[in-house]
Amino acid sequence: MAAKVIANELFPDSTITLALFRNVENVKEIRQCVMNGTFEAAILKTSMIVDPFQVIVAANKAVHQNKVGKMMTKNVHSEILFNLSPSKNISDSFRKFGAGDTDQSVFIAVIDDKTGQTLQAIQNTVKGQQVDVDEVKQLSDLNNIKKIYKLTDAELSWSPLDALVTRIAAKDIMTI
Amino acid sequence: MERVLIKQGAEGKLYSSEFYGKPCIVKERFTKSYRHPALDKSLTTQRMKAEARALLRCRMSGIECPALYMVDIESRCIIMERVLNSVTVREYTRTLQEKDDAKNLLSLAKQIGEVLGRLHSNNIIHGDLTTSNMLIKGYGENSRIILIDFGLSYFDSVAEDKGVDLYVLERAFLSTHPNTEALFQVILDTYKDNNKTGAEDVMKKLEEIRMRGRKRTMVG
Repeated sequence: MAAKVIANELFPDSTITLALFRNVENVKEIRQCVMNGTFEAAILKTSMIVDPFQVIVAANKAVHQNKVGKMMTKNVHSEILFNLSPSKNISDSFRKFGAGDTDQSVFIAVIDDKTGQTLQAIQNTVKGQQVDVDEVKQLSDLNNIKKIYKLTDAELSWSPLDALVTRIAAKDIMTI
Repeated sequence: MERVLIKQGAEGKLYSSEFYGKPCIVKERFTKSYRHPALDKSLTTQRMKAEARALLRCRMSGIECPALYMVDIESRCIIMERVLNSVTVREYTRTLQEKDDAKNLLSLAKQIGEVLGRLHSNNIIHGDLTTSNMLIKGYGENSRIILIDFGLSYFDSVAEDKGVDLYVLERAFLSTHPNTEALFQVILDTYKDNNKTGAEDVMKKLEEIRMRGRKRTMVG
């Protein structure tokens, strides 16, 4: 199963690469690689994602903020994590939206991996099975998402995805 | 992604486009060359933020409106969901009137009243309520109202502003759809049921505004 490479809508020379792995045994190791700089990527918690589009909106915003010099965190990948979170607390955002050491699946987002080297390195590191990114819909934990994003029942009944992307897009404008 | 111009107003242009495969609307505000650049930037930023805030607050208050995809202050764009398979309440009312469909007109009026009651009980002032700024999805019993265009919206708990909001709608409603006085009364009645705490004051204000017009008389 191949990863999804998407061209950025606003900056055609930029790309977003998405990949999903299941039955992963070594999340801790993957996180170590990111922390010591072996490769740069956003390692996301699958239970907090309802749809790949949610990550795309956060990543698109991160790239945009990077270009205009308005990032809140150190690099574009940590900015994706921060954007996903409704919290303004950076370490809290990382804890809630970054993959945990005991997780059995990870959702990965890489910005501007044009040669595919980073993805290759990730694929070599992850001990798990790569699946279609849309399968993340089966892994989401709606109860927890509802709690963390403070969704109302009406919002859940229309479209949880729309409610989440609206919050992500409006995060720097209004806090909930 | 390619942008197709669909509407141009005094404040900005509306394009239809796609955002990562989802149909979207891009609302771009102009730079106004007659304004001082610093003032222009600050006004535009304020209004874009107000719109984004209103979209989120409506959603959280249980009022349907388009999902927000991106706010780009630098290029003065707001990108939001394009609501598919919908018509404006204006067109919908026309269709129902042509068919002389009293039953569905009544249920439409009730739906509008309900949405507005909820809007105002959450202290959101839309600022430009017209039947063109409401979309309807579905038909008859299964239809849902979606509010759009929050460019002039703000938050306030004052009855005066809510009264003006209703007054603007009344004027727009009665002038675009003739012989709908009874129908508008249904909107107001359902509004009262859905905005229990504030409706009485708002109705009083509405009476007052009807007598004098939208602008307050300034004496002294």
